[in-house]
Amino acid sequence: MNTLWKKTYAWIDERVDLRQLVDFMGKKYVPVHRGFLWYYFGGVTLFLFIIQVITGILLLLYYKASDQLAFESIQFIMSKVQFGWLIRSIHSWSANLFILSAVIHMFSVMFERGYRAPREITWLTGMFMLFLGLGFGFSGYLLPWNELAYFATKVGTEIPGVIPIIGKPVMEFLRGGPDVTGATLSRFFGFHVAVFPGLFTVFLGIHLLLVQRQGMSIPEHLEHEKLDESKRMPFFPNFLLRDLLLWLIVLNVLAILAVFFPWDLGKKADLFASAPAGIHPEWYFLFMFQTLKYIPSKVFFMDGEVLGVLLFGLAFALWTLIPFWDRRTARGSASRRVTYIALLALMYIIVFTILGWLL
Amino acid sequence: MEDSHSLTPAERSKRDFLKYLLTGGLLAWLASVIYPIISYLRPPQQTEVVVESVKVGPLSSLAKDSGTIVRFGNRPVILIRTATGDLRAFSAVCTHLECTVQYRKDLSVIWCACHNGKYDLSGRNIDGPPPRPLEPYRVVIQGDDVYVSKMS
Amino acid sequence: MALVKRIIGLAVGGALLLLPIISLPAPAAQDKCYECHSTLGDAPSKAFLVDVHRSKGISCAGCHGGNSATDDMDSAMSARAGFLGVPKGDDISARCASCHADESKMRSFGSSLPTNQYANLKASVHGAPAVSGKGSIAQCITCHHAHGILHVKDPRSPVNHANVVALCASCHSNAALIRQYNPSLPIDQLEKYKTSVHGMRYAKGDTKVAVCVSCHGTHDIFSSKDVRSKVYPTNIPGTCKTCHADADYMKAYGIPTDQYEKYAASVHGIALLQKNDVSAPACNGCHGNHGATPPGVESISAVCGTCHALNADLFSKSPHKRAFDALGVPECEICHGNHGIAPPTDAMLGVDSAAVCSQCHAPDDSSRGFATARAMRKLMDSVSVTEQRAGLLIGEAEQRGMEVSEAKFQLRDARQFRLQARTAVHAFNEQQFSDVAHKSLAVSEAVEGEARAALDEFVFRRTGLGVSTLIITVLAVALFLTIRRIEKKPPGTS
Repeated sequence: MNTLWKKTYAWIDERVDLRQLVDFMGKKYVPVHRGFLWYYFGGVTLFLFIIQVITGILLLLYYKASDQLAFESIQFIMSKVQFGWLIRSIHSWSANLFILSAVIHMFSVMFERGYRAPREITWLTGMFMLFLGLGFGFSGYLLPWNELAYFATKVGTEIPGVIPIIGKPVMEFLRGGPDVTGATLSRFFGFHVAVFPGLFTVFLGIHLLLVQRQGMSIPEHLEHEKLDESKRMPFFPNFLLRDLLLWLIVLNVLAILAVFFPWDLGKKADLFASAPAGIHPEWYFLFMFQTLKYIPSKVFFMDGEVLGVLLFGLAFALWTLIPFWDRRTARGSASRRVTYIALLALMYIIVFTILGWLL
Repeated sequence: MEDSHSLTPAERSKRDFLKYLLTGGLLAWLASVIYPIISYLRPPQQTEVVVESVKVGPLSSLAKDSGTIVRFGNRPVILIRTATGDLRAFSAVCTHLECTVQYRKDLSVIWCACHNGKYDLSGRNIDGPPPRPLEPYRVVIQGDDVYVSKMS
Repeated sequence: MALVKRIIGLAVGGALLLLPIISLPAPAAQDKCYECHSTLGDAPSKAFLVDVHRSKGISCAGCHGGNSATDDMDSAMSARAGFLGVPKGDDISARCASCHADESKMRSFGSSLPTNQYANLKASVHGAPAVSGKGSIAQCITCHHAHGILHVKDPRSPVNHANVVALCASCHSNAALIRQYNPSLPIDQLEKYKTSVHGMRYAKGDTKVAVCVSCHGTHDIFSSKDVRSKVYPTNIPGTCKTCHADADYMKAYGIPTDQYEKYAASVHGIALLQKNDVSAPACNGCHGNHGATPPGVESISAVCGTCHALNADLFSKSPHKRAFDALGVPECEICHGNHGIAPPTDAMLGVDSAAVCSQCHAPDDSSRGFATARAMRKLMDSVSVTEQRAGLLIGEAEQRGMEVSEAKFQLRDARQFRLQARTAVHAFNEQQFSDVAHKSLAVSEAVEGEARAALDEFVFRRTGLGVSTLIITVLAVALFLTIRRIEKKPPGTS
């Protein structure tokens, strides 16, 4: 086995010259400090994305993206295809865990100021991937074409429609028409399996390349020290093995979730039925949904909803551009303000998600 | 790798054990992942999705003066093409004791085999024990395909 | 002495002679109208002689208005005196109602008659406009006549029990007349009635049997399609019951009086009276209405068969038909009862003490009936049990979250065949029954197979998870140990 491995490596090395790469990778270290555990979350998010791609491709072999057949095809997968229940439930659970992991990863980077120079592009591509992840979640949610998804999509696509001037065209673009119909399903399917994966792969490639090139971000207070052996760990093989171990456990968790908490299918969407009570989007959109409910319908001259949407847009834009306006961190001094902002944002999101869930 | 001669026999056997454990574990794990995937890829017995509610099939497959039972969720629906070519659909659940009705070409009625209930081709109960007419369903033709859906 | 005897004899003879005159109703104190008109010899005054109103002291003016105290025609029949002439159309009944709807007025004459007749008549089907356009179809005098009105108990009254049938028939058997109002309304009620038990007894002078008004009402007659009618399907049992459930009333006839009680608890009674299912038979459904007669022994199956066609058809072709008719055994009734028909159960079939087959069939009978009954019951039980078991297993699988909706759908067929088997019993042919019953068994068994497969899959999933978790744990431990081993050495060596 070992010799085969050696031979393969030699064969490729002759043609591609891997030596430089291997040397470079061998020098990659992960700083060991109080926040060490957070370094895992990027990898976990990546692992969950890979799971999504694999299970997604498998589902693609049986899923039918027409409003006539989508629901039935998932019933088919759940009941007739061998291990179809497993693949589908893993896909649904992993989607949610992926977003959770991505958000944790983002916040940990935020708190550690990982976005500061030279890692601004890493941060940007990460944020874009997060937005794409939310897009994955929103588009994928509709694909079973069940009652809850249909109404959640109706409400969800209504919201960008309130933006002045561009809102209506954007909404019609998203919906494939003025209403949510089979055309919306086709469109969302296209986004979900082609457009988003393509874009995501590009950003992911850049993100990973940069992380490899620039190495792991070291917390500011450790930056000026020379990390001795006790304060750093080689990425290959030590951290990688630990990563793999964690990924294995995550895989097991997914299997347990799939068996004991299979993902629901519900009732097929009926365009003529009235919405059931308490329609709400998936949990990762809840905090926004709940906030919009609290804004009064008219604020000065503006429609409350429009104001809400625009404010959120502004907030996300500012958040994404933080490497460029956080002067203090750029200068190299501690920026407690950013910590407070991040803490506030985190609290707000958690509280409003819980509120959205309970109310 | 480290020089195996510098290890004690105990350490060596421990290392070998670990190697076997790792390799064995890895192989077992690969099998436990690949087996479900291969099974999944194999086409199931019933190769196509059972179109339960909507599309019945092409219009040309429905002969005039005939009826067919279609599964609509967990209810049967009877789709009739009359002698003049009209399409009608009704719940196939008899309103008497819930048997499944059928189209009787010889009597030109919808008939229930259990207790001889009869409905006309508008679903109205005209003879026998059924107390109420059959619930109508909507029939839509899109292109060449016939779709059955609930009346809204 | 002889003179006294003669005087007494004259007195008695004179009294006897005068009796007819004395027995005549006391005329009104001042009924000059009558006095004059009776000398004219016109029909109304002839009739009025025996009129009950005259005996109460009501004069012609009581209905016609005017002044009955004077015999001067002009002043008696003047409009100033309130003379109304001959009332026409609805005015007639209004006239009658002016007293007969007035409670206090009726009491003042010492009458205990009801006072709702006019209101009822107006609301009834007879209160609808006549085709002539002149008032309602019927006025009071249509049935009671105008001048010789007698108490209903008087055998000369047209509305007396003995005469009322002919009275109703005078319109309702007139095809040309009824056609003007409702072309589809039958006019053969009288003919049918004559063939009925009620009609035949009536012809013999029975004063207790039902006549038209007993069932249809008197003034408050509604169409049988009207829910207010006493002969609307859901009301019919209650109507028949007024006589037929009254033990005292029916004492002389020697027939049971528990029919209503039994019927109300029966499957037909519950359907009609509690669920308002008007397709269920009321008394007239089996007995007929105007021609009401219990069906003969040989025709019971045909009567039940008007609804239960399949069963009747099978029965008529079965060996039981000939056997029952020969023995004079009432066909469907002997097993199912007549009035108190309960929902049939599987327990009725078979050879144990609760089964109806054992009423006739003994183990040693030559007709193979005993063996057939036993075999059919055994098979029936097997069908029920298998279907039930399949249903339970499907429920269990569903509860565990397995997708079994298609198998559940198939179970409908098992039930359907079972119901058809129950009907097939009536052919009393083991092969025929077995054919249908086995269809049900086949479906139930297939469904059971799928349910078991679903339950096995459930266990398989959990077992599979256990195995996977074990493998992953082993691998994880191996990885963990590898990491530890690597880190014992100087890091950086791969």
